[in-house]
Parts: sequence; C-alpha cells; structure tokens
Amino acid sequence: MKRNASVVIVGGGIVGCCIAYSLAREGIKDVVLLERGTLSGGATGRCGAGVRQQWGTAQNCLLARESMRVFENLPDVLGMDCDIELKQKGYLLLAYSGKEMQQFEKNLQVQHALDIPSRLLTPQEARDIVPMLNIEHLAGAAFCPTDGHANPFLTTLAFADAARNLGVEIHQGVEVRAIQQQNGRVSGVTTDKGSIETPVVINAAGGWSHEIGEMAGLDLPVFSERHEILVTEPVNPILDPMVMSFSYNIYCQQTPHGSFIMGHGPENEPPGHNQESSWQFLESMAKKATWLLPPLAKLRIVRQWAGSYNMSPDRQPIVCASEQLEGFFMAIGFSGHGFMLGPAIGTLMADLVLRRPLTWDVTLDLGRFSRQEIISEPSVV
Amino acid sequence: MKRLDVLVIGGGPAGISAAIAAGKMGLEVVLLEEREFLGGQLVKQTHRFFGSKEEHAGVRGIDIVTELTATLSGMPNVSTWLEATALGLYEDGVVTVLHQGRMHKFLPRSIVAATGAFERFLPFENNDLPGVFGAGAVQTLMNMYGVKPAQKVLMVGSGNIGLIVSYQLIQAGVEVVAVLEAAGNIGGYLVHASKLRRLGVPILTHYTVQKAIGTSEVEGAIAVRLDDRWNPVEGSEILFPCDAICLATGLSPLGEILSQAGCQVKYVPELGGDVPVRDENLQTTRPGVFVAGDLAGIEEATAAMLEGELAGLGAARTVLSQRASPWSEEDLEKRVQDLKQKLSGLRAGPVGEKIRKGLGRLRPAGESGEDVPEIKPSQQDQPPLEELWKTGIPTPSQLQRKLPEEARKQPRPFAVVECFQQIPCDPCVQSCPVGAIAPFSTINDIPQVDFARCTGCGNCIARCPGLAIFVVGYQPEKGKATVSLPYELLPRPEKGQVVEVLDRAGRVAGEGTVLSVLDSPRMDRTAVVKVEVDPELAMEVRMVRCPVENVNAQETQQEHLAQPNEEEWAQDPTLPGDDTIVCRCEDVTLGQIRELIQKGFTTIEEIKHVSRCGMGPCQGKTCSPIIAREIARITGKPLDQVKPAKTRPPFGGILFEEVVRSEEESDGGEAYEA
Repeated sequence: MKRNASVVIVGGGIVGCCIAYSLAREGIKDVVLLERGTLSGGATGRCGAGVRQQWGTAQNCLLARESMRVFENLPDVLGMDCDIELKQKGYLLLAYSGKEMQQFEKNLQVQHALDIPSRLLTPQEARDIVPMLNIEHLAGAAFCPTDGHANPFLTTLAFADAARNLGVEIHQGVEVRAIQQQNGRVSGVTTDKGSIETPVVINAAGGWSHEIGEMAGLDLPVFSERHEILVTEPVNPILDPMVMSFSYNIYCQQTPHGSFIMGHGPENEPPGHNQESSWQFLESMAKKATWLLPPLAKLRIVRQWAGSYNMSPDRQPIVCASEQLEGFFMAIGFSGHGFMLGPAIGTLMADLVLRRPLTWDVTLDLGRFSRQEIISEPSVV
Repeated sequence: MKRLDVLVIGGGPAGISAAIAAGKMGLEVVLLEEREFLGGQLVKQTHRFFGSKEEHAGVRGIDIVTELTATLSGMPNVSTWLEATALGLYEDGVVTVLHQGRMHKFLPRSIVAATGAFERFLPFENNDLPGVFGAGAVQTLMNMYGVKPAQKVLMVGSGNIGLIVSYQLIQAGVEVVAVLEAAGNIGGYLVHASKLRRLGVPILTHYTVQKAIGTSEVEGAIAVRLDDRWNPVEGSEILFPCDAICLATGLSPLGEILSQAGCQVKYVPELGGDVPVRDENLQTTRPGVFVAGDLAGIEEATAAMLEGELAGLGAARTVLSQRASPWSEEDLEKRVQDLKQKLSGLRAGPVGEKIRKGLGRLRPAGESGEDVPEIKPSQQDQPPLEELWKTGIPTPSQLQRKLPEEARKQPRPFAVVECFQQIPCDPCVQSCPVGAIAPFSTINDIPQVDFARCTGCGNCIARCPGLAIFVVGYQPEKGKATVSLPYELLPRPEKGQVVEVLDRAGRVAGEGTVLSVLDSPRMDRTAVVKVEVDPELAMEVRMVRCPVENVNAQETQQEHLAQPNEEEWAQDPTLPGDDTIVCRCEDVTLGQIRELIQKGFTTIEEIKHVSRCGMGPCQGKTCSPIIAREIARITGKPLDQVKPAKTRPPFGGILFEEVVRSEEESDGGEAYEA
C-alpha cells in the first residue's frame, strides 16, 4: 500500500470506483481507493440494478442521461472489454391518480428538453408493454424505452479495472479509522493497515459516510436507512421493463439472467446500520407484487437481503468540497439512486478536485441546505 | 403467529431427542421436519449400530427411529410438523416455516437447530451427467422408496457412509465395481470394509474418480491413482464400466439458518467445515439458540441423540427459568452432567480423536471449559493395523492373535472375533451366555475371547454390529471343518445346498455344504450360515455365495449397459478439468473460477458477485467448499481463512403465493394463536 497519495477515496461502491476512474483519466497520479469490505459489497451490490433517466428535476435527468450514455458505450469509454448486462427495455412508471399523472406530464417536459425519449401511456398501452400488469385503479403511466438494467457488480468492477489500468491503487479489506488534519486541512488517513499521507480525502462511503464525516470533525446531514429487496429463481424472459410506482411504492424488474428483483420503501424504519432481512418485508412484498403482476404468484423467491440507503435531507446527493475542511470532498447521500448516477458523479468530482467549473450546471453542494435551495425531486421510491 | 416454548428444527436423531427432552419438561414443543417422515438419515440406516446398550447398540438405525417416534407420539405437548421447512430465523426471533403451501410464523422462546449435514460434492469431469449421485440420494432411493438406483456402481469414498452404502447396494442386488479412497487409508470402520471385501468389492486407496464417461448418462468412470501430493499419476487410469458413480466424499454441517441469523460460525475441518460456535451446553452465540447433531459437527447418530437431549434440556432450561419445572434443578443438572459424561466417553477412544481435536479448536480463545479427555483403552499393546487400513483384510499375523492355542482348536468349535480396531462398541460382551468375552473396562476395548470358556455356540455372530465374528469348528473324524458366518443377503442359502465359499477378498476358495441356516426373529435379519468345508479352508472362508436363481436375468440386464469409449478417456489425465461444473445452480465451471482467482478475486464473496456462484437456490452448498479449496490451492491461503459467503433467507425458496397465504391468515385472524 502506498504511504503517500495525492487523493484517497474512501469507499469502493459505484461512486468511489467511478470517481477513481475519472480522477485517473484526468491524469491525477497516486490515487488510492480504500474499501473496508469488497468492491460493490455495500449498497451498490445490494441495489435493484435499475438505471433510469425519468426524473422530475432537470439536474437529475441530466446526470442520469449522461450516466446512461456511459453505460451504453462502456467498452469504448473505458477502452476495455466489459459486459455489464445492460438491458434497455425501459422503465414503466405507474400513476394511480390524476395528480400523479399530472406530475408525470410535468416531468416529461423536463425530460424532453434533455432529449430523453419518454412518453405517457394509457393503462391499456401500459398493458401492451407488460401484458401481465394488473391495471385496476391505474390512471396511466410514463415510459422511457432506453431506461433499464445494468449489473451493479460488473459495472462497479469495470470502473475499478479501468481505474487500476490507469494506475489507481485499490485496496479491499482496509478500513479507514481516522482522518488526519494539519493546519486546518486534510493531511492523511489512518487505516487498520497503516497510514497514508494525502492532501485530499473523498468520502464515498455510502451507508457509512456520516461516520467518515465524523472522522473529519464534520456532522454531515446524512443518515442510513435499511431498505429490503428480494430475488427469485430465474425464468424465461416475461417482463421487459422495470415496473415502478411511487404511490404504490414498488419497483420490480426481470434481469437478463432471468431472475426477478424487487423491493419497496420501508415504513417507520429507524435510522441505523441494520442490514438484517425481515419476514414483514417478505409478506408485504409478496402481497404488493402479486397484486400488481399476478402471474408472479407461482414464482419462487430464493433470497432476500437488505442494504443501506444513505439519506440526505432532500433525498438528493451531496457532491462537493467541504467548506469547513480544506481537502475533504464528499459524494454522499444518494438516497437510493447512486448506482445509476455513478459515471456522472465521477466527472463532477474530478471537476471539484481539479478546482474547475462543473461540466454540467448542477447544484449538489452542502450549502444548498443553509441557502434553502432544497431540491424537490418528485420521482423517488 | 404461533408462540411456543421450544422450536426444534430438524427431525433426525438429534432433533427428535431434543424434542423428547424438552417435552419431558412439560413444555410446548414443535418439531419441524422437512421430509414426509421423521428420522433424518437414521431411517435409511439398515445396519446395526455400534455403541453400548444404553445407546441402542446393535439396533438398526431404522428401528431406533421407531423407538424414538413411539416416545414422541406419547407426548401431547410435542407436535410434529412434517414437510415443514424452516425458511429463516429473523432478528425479532420469528422463524418462518413453509408447510402445506403456506408460510407460517413461529415465535419460540428457545430454539434447537438440528438441521444435519449436506453432502460434499466432488469436482471431476462430466460430474453433471445423470448417474452421478450423492450417497445420501442413493440411500434415499434404495432404502426409503425401494428404487434400485443402478445396476453397477462405482463408490467414491471409503468413509463409513461409502462403505455402508456399498454394502446396502449389494444387499439391494446392485454390483459395486469398486470403492475408491483418495487417502492412503480406508476412512471408515475396518469391519465395514472387511464386509465389503469378502463380498468381492475391491477397495482402492490413493485412488479417486477423474472423469465420468457417457454422453447422456453415466456409462463408465475413470479412476486414477494419486501420488503423495494428491496429483494424478499418469498411466494409472482404470476404466470401470458402470451406470452410476456414487459420491461419499464427506459431509459438512448445514448451518445456513444459523449463520444467517448471526450465530458465529468457525471453520473446523475435523468437524466437517463451518460449525456454529457454542458453549458446553450447546448454546450458540445467539442466546436461546442451541445446536445438536451433525450441524454441530459431523459425528455419528449416537452422539447426535445425546447432543439432542443435551440441547433440548438446555433450551428447556432457558424457558423454565421463568416457570415451575417438573424436574428439580438438581435432577436436571445431574442429567446434563450425565449426558456430557456419556458424550465424553463416546469420543474418548482412538476413533474419537478427530472429534476431540475439532471440539478443542471450537472453544472460543481464552474460554475455559474441559476438553474431552482421551481415555486409552485398557489394552495398550495393540500392534499397528497398517496393512489392514489399506486392504480391509487382516494379515495372517493379526489373525493369529485371535486364535486359540493349537490344543484348543478341537473338538469344540470356537469364536474368531475379527475385530482389530478400537471402536466404541460392546454388544459381543453382552451376547455371550458363558462370559467368554471379557467385560470391557472402556467402551473402546477390543474383545478378547477366553477360549477355555467359549463353547462355540455362535450367539455372538448375529449380535456383532460389525459382522466380524465367525465360529470355526474342526471335525477331524470327518476330515471336515465348519464355519459359521453372518449372512445378510437375500435369498438365503438353504440347508444341504452346495455353495461356493469365499475368502476374505471375496475370491472363490472352493465349495462347501450348507449345514444349517439360523434366521430367527430374535436375530433381526442377520442369519447365521453354517457351512462345511475342507479343514484347510476353515481359516480362509468368511462368506458363501448363494446360488441365486435370478442371476441370469440380472446378467442379461447388464449386457444392455453401453460400453464406454476407451479412446475418449485415454487423452487427458489432468484433474479436474476446467470444464468441470462446480456450481450446479448457475452452471459455473471450475475454469471460470480459476480465471477469477487468477484475476485477483480471492474471496468467495467476490467470486459470488461476478459468477453468481452461491446466488442460486442451494446458496453455495455445492460450490462453496470447492471454491474455497481452489482459492486455498491457488493463493496458498489457509482454508480456515477463506470466509464463506453470506447466506440469506428464505432457505429452500418459497412461492410468492405461499407467502401471501401467510399474510391472508394474519389478516383473517389466527387459526392457532397460543
């Protein structure tokens, strides 16, 4: 392990690996990424594997679209062979009220301004795309055919490999224990395997980013929340798009492997690092899924697990340099949608570290909360 | 939600014993069994058990189950749920169970997990051909469902399971072409090996299976010799025509539900793999959760039953601390100590050495607690068994020690006890009406015959669980000798028949005349055949071959077996090839695993992420041990430092509709709320 680095990234999920790749591609030498467990072993590897561009705010749409372009051309972008099991069969977003439908219409205007090919559907049209869909109470739907699925493990590892090829040192099984400061700025990190001197630390620790912030003396406004998920046995392809509803609170897709993966947001979940599964989730998920997609009743669930959403006050990411501690950067608080934004976040972080204007006009800094510029994203589960 | 005192998961010998123990304390107990019958592996065991009288010595496994279930059925406070699979143990203490198409929820005050073991799989080329069986599957087909699994079987593994299942296959009319053993010595009890040898089954030590031959099913197998470093020796291949390859390559504790629930597990090779860490009362690191039987470490049914009772009492005690107990605390403690002592005694001998070592390793660092002491058998001067370990056939000098002096050899017949290994077993002592087999000072003693007392009555023959006792009589006046031997095949020879007589290697030694066939109900299906032979054969003949009337029919069937293509196997002797399937859920090959390890994926968790090994319904039971070994082999990392992947509920899987039915039930009011 290097004892001197120009940048130390804490966290080997999609965000950390994309940042590592972007920094190295910008020519930054001596980048070290530290992961306590295994790459993509946290929220990234536990997520629903969805990649969508149908957001309600321009900046989310933009970041998702830019990320999707990277996913679509990943071998070319990274200059290496890789297959991330990208499946672009769309996201079908379901609306159960006129109000929800109106929101979708507004979202569409934002999306269309960014050339995202989404459209509105009647319940019957939704059923044409998903013949097994129960359209009872359905007001309508929004659909974007280029949204879909990517394998979070393979995607993260592709960025990690590309970063390594550009000279990044990636260490798994190394836990950061402290962040050192000197003269009011970052000077290094202490790990369970020794110390590294560095002027720059990037907090990309996902569910544990609040703790990493504490090591820097910062009380970052993020907390972790358990979200549960399950997967079934693989079957022949019978469901093209990701089916999702914000009001019914569900997402469900069939992966290219054939298994169905699905989850829903928790109710009254206390903040914390609990990653245990619950039988309550199994029951509520089964009820929701079989009501919405009745043929799933005969499908076998083979595993359930849980992961941590790293929640921010407005459920939007915080990507910025700390104003209190020179040399401390963060890409945190992804609130459940970090995977699909990863590549764009890497680009933004490279801008931040190199102290140049952001590639896209987005506001993701920590200061937005004190400035009362809360991002109001209507489209989250 | 059903609330109850003790939930026992697994209805094998350990689980039933636990349920009985907790039931005797007057507690409300539910016993879950995944299969449609109780007994676990015990119901498949048609052989007699070793051990001492109190632990069912000499009783066949299947009959032990009958005794246990009879006790159980007399307990109204214990309910047994058959075809009930435990899906998960959740953080709030709820155990979900799949039963009759519906998910049920139990909230027990304490739990005994006795989920048993799973069979270790062996990677070799074409191991996914139909006809490659686990030994447990063969036993289930044959002994539970009466299905003959094959005509000709190659057995891989000479542990007790490999030896016993081979013997049962022969009893079922199947030919066992050979037993392979990768190690240098036979793994199981030597008496079991000797039983097979005299039936003509070769046991090849330092051999393993390299490849299955066949296109759509097994038509043969290639065995290969291994050198001292476990590498195949080129040119040593043997082709065995067979239609099944039976793997008896070891068991591993099945503890997924415990590791999922956060109980600490530790890799202890002597106990079969990852075993739950527990205290001396068998309580795991999750309070109120106890373990027993093979899940706690691979051992035998006798130990499983004792552990089951100990765990059952432990689980009961955690409940009874808040309630009046039918037993005084003193009596309970006395029984607990008694059980611990019995377990120690069982593990005290030479065959318990591995278990003792494993249990020592399992004890948390720094925790005190007595290690199981080794109790040396009273006879310390046993010569080494070297050749016998390799062949299953005693040497002349070993046999010499079992015989009387020349002068005693006639006129009265005498017992030849061909028992050379110190194993915990003593029914022969009880069986002798004249006390000619001296009482043991420890259960692991080797029987010694007092020939002055021995009348040659032959009572001991059918009582020896190892079928290792013969009675030889010389009749110089007739110029003949008689050999009485145990016989467990069908049909029985008949009195007056002239039969081929076989030596200890199953070779035809000559002919003999059957003088008598004793087969009373008291002998419990072990007949004693007395055959008259030439005197020089008396110390050679240990088996007879019954003229079987349907032999011809059997041979005709065997002719239909396709002949394997000999050119195909002669090509590449490397072991095992990259094409070998290691993950049967996701069809991942050994080559893919090797490539990943070379690329730097050196933990099972990482390999799971990219290959899906372990994401299938079996959750890595088949592939994980193979991947762990491959990681250790390539990286040089010690095996105990290769961490298993996480396991996740619901184990075995459950249909959405089965979960939904559970939900409906709680909406509509509980049918059986306690």
